[in-house]
Amino acid sequence: MRLTATESTILLNALNATDRAQQNALLQVTTGKRVNVASDDPAAAAMQVQIADQTLAGDQFLRSISSVTGELQTADSALNSCVTALQRAITLGVQGANGTLSEQDRDALANEIQGISQQVMGIANLNYNGHFLFAGTADSQTPYVLDPNSPGGVKYQGNDQVNQIEVEQGHTVAMNLPGSQLFSATGANVFEALSDLTDALQNGTGIDTATQSVRDAFDQLTTSRVFYGSTVDQLTSDVDFLNSKKLQLAQSTNDNVGVDMNVAATNLVNADNARNAALAAAARTSNLSLLDYLGSN
Amino acid sequence: MGSLFTALSISVGSLEAQQAGLETTTNNLANMNTPGYCRQRPVLQESDPIVQGSLAFGNGVSLTGIESLRDSLLNVQINNETQEQSKSQAYVDTMNQVQPLFPMDTSGIGAAISSFFQSLNGLSSNPSDSSLRQSTLAAANGLASSFNQAAGQLTSTRGNLDLNVQQDVQQVNQLTTQIASLNRTLATTSSTGADYGSFMDQRDALVQQLSGLIDVSVLQSGSSLTLTTRQGTALVVDGQSFGLTTSLDPNDGTQHIYAQAGDITGQISGGKLGGALQARDQTIPSMLGQLDDLASGLVTNLNLAHQKGFDLNGEQGGDLFNPITGSGAAASMSVAFTDPSLLAASSDGTTGSNGNIANLTAVATQQVSNGMTPIQAYGNLVFQVGSAISNANADVTASTNVLQQLQQQQQSVSGVSLDEEASNLLLYERAYQAAARAISTVDTMFQTAINMGAH
Repeated sequence: MRLTATESTILLNALNATDRAQQNALLQVTTGKRVNVASDDPAAAAMQVQIADQTLAGDQFLRSISSVTGELQTADSALNSCVTALQRAITLGVQGANGTLSEQDRDALANEIQGISQQVMGIANLNYNGHFLFAGTADSQTPYVLDPNSPGGVKYQGNDQVNQIEVEQGHTVAMNLPGSQLFSATGANVFEALSDLTDALQNGTGIDTATQSVRDAFDQLTTSRVFYGSTVDQLTSDVDFLNSKKLQLAQSTNDNVGVDMNVAATNLVNADNARNAALAAAARTSNLSLLDYLGSN
Repeated sequence: MGSLFTALSISVGSLEAQQAGLETTTNNLANMNTPGYCRQRPVLQESDPIVQGSLAFGNGVSLTGIESLRDSLLNVQINNETQEQSKSQAYVDTMNQVQPLFPMDTSGIGAAISSFFQSLNGLSSNPSDSSLRQSTLAAANGLASSFNQAAGQLTSTRGNLDLNVQQDVQQVNQLTTQIASLNRTLATTSSTGADYGSFMDQRDALVQQLSGLIDVSVLQSGSSLTLTTRQGTALVVDGQSFGLTTSLDPNDGTQHIYAQAGDITGQISGGKLGGALQARDQTIPSMLGQLDDLASGLVTNLNLAHQKGFDLNGEQGGDLFNPITGSGAAASMSVAFTDPSLLAASSDGTTGSNGNIANLTAVATQQVSNGMTPIQAYGNLVFQVGSAISNANADVTASTNVLQQLQQQQQSVSGVSLDEEASNLLLYERAYQAAARAISTVDTMFQTAINMGAH
């Protein structure tokens, strides 16, 4: 093959190629990613779309869990003070059943029971972040209002609905209990029981029966309340799961589009060397020709 | 036997021949960087001998012409490969503008779909909260505008390509006109039998430029080139060129390319035009179609879910997005209302219920477009754009390598070698010196002969 002055084109092509390799290696090192645009690895990019979606969804689940947990804990601690108050009411009922008490003493007990009833009503009407916690889903209005025609003089205006919230892909938990299960369940109505006990103490008859009703209401409340504690526990384990899934997704992202830094750094060094070699070759070879040697004649 | 005059005339012929050699050498050197230049050399021949009896005396050298060294087959291969390379390169250049519209994460349609469904999950923690409702509505608007933006950019990329197509067609016409005019020049000059290498060099360079723009088939007949597209549309026949025209097609709103025979837009398969048309008429419309499909699928299913619920006022939910179908769906996607209280989160009409949000978020796992969930459909688009570019990139690399090989081969036939020309320079110079010396020797002999008579 006849040789002609094609060195410059060959060198230019080589410089272009090494330049591209260098830029590519540099991009991988600086971004830490092997796949920076979809054309770098289309299949990995498509998978990355899914991973990114799951990662973002996981973050949202964590935010929702934190907000729901706050609500559940508020409700639980409110119910805790309600339990304490009802325990006090039962103690007062047992105390009132003691036949040696005077009418005055029993009136004092009845007054305290009335106070407890108001306290429980305050708790049952607890508002959190602009909505009532124990109103079912009808949570824009006060669930318990005074109403002489209702049993115990208190009427429940909420409903029996429960909201569900998704806290993991395809996994939902209930996030509230309606007041009708906690305070005004049929046969275990806290307000009715407390009102009956007040009446019994004032009249001095049927105190034992009335105290038993308060116990029943107390049992209903404590049994139902377990929901809050167990849901919070479940959410805590969901958080652990989501966090470990997040780590796993980060790992998948890295496997999928990340770059092995050792490889990338080596590539960069190799690209630098190749470019230096091409440049050095360009500097040395381009000017040689027979004319240089004839010129001196 | 020849006379002194014969020796003189041989020497003068040699002077001419060596001078012609020097001229071609210097011309080669002058054009060593001229694109398309093919090196030339003098064609030297022994003159017919003078026969005297049984003796034949050489009668010097004669210059029969100057020839260019070219390999037509290599030229054809280079033209073909140029068409492939320019096509892939133009396609890659266009699709590289499209690729940023389909990012893998944190932005674009995929992220907008994610954040919309996330905002719904956030809303389910407190469905009557006005700031959560507001942010859900904002996410719905973000989703709509991400579709609008992608569709808009795709459409405007198509518009830019239209402009390119018009410019490229103008360039094609300029080149074919020039080639036809060179055909005419060569037809008249070649009848004189001379080798007009420089005109052919110019013409070859023009054909190669043309190959960068459009697919060309070259037919050589005598000194004249006939150029057609690969599908047989005539571009240049002998001294006549056939211009292409562009005009706006009312059906698809793009510039179509017409030859005398009619619309040839779909036939162009090579060069810059081929690549631009592939992106404009195939890839981008297909992307737009899939975006439209995804947008209308999402909107239909979300509206259906939304209508099952109740808003904050206890009213049955309406459309969440304005209904859209078919072509232009993605570009016109928009949220149906601006009042966040109209979001139908409730399943029973009470304000605190979040029951209908589950219906809305279920759309994320429904097959809304070609049997794919919204995120899968988007991932599929990312894959298509990515693989279109990476395939075309591979084509560019392959045809660039082939082209480099071919060009080196061509250089080896037609290129100017400095070393060769330097040695030729020396050769012709020495030969010229020798011929000149011969003339002065003959002159001395004449002197001697003349002086002989004076004695």
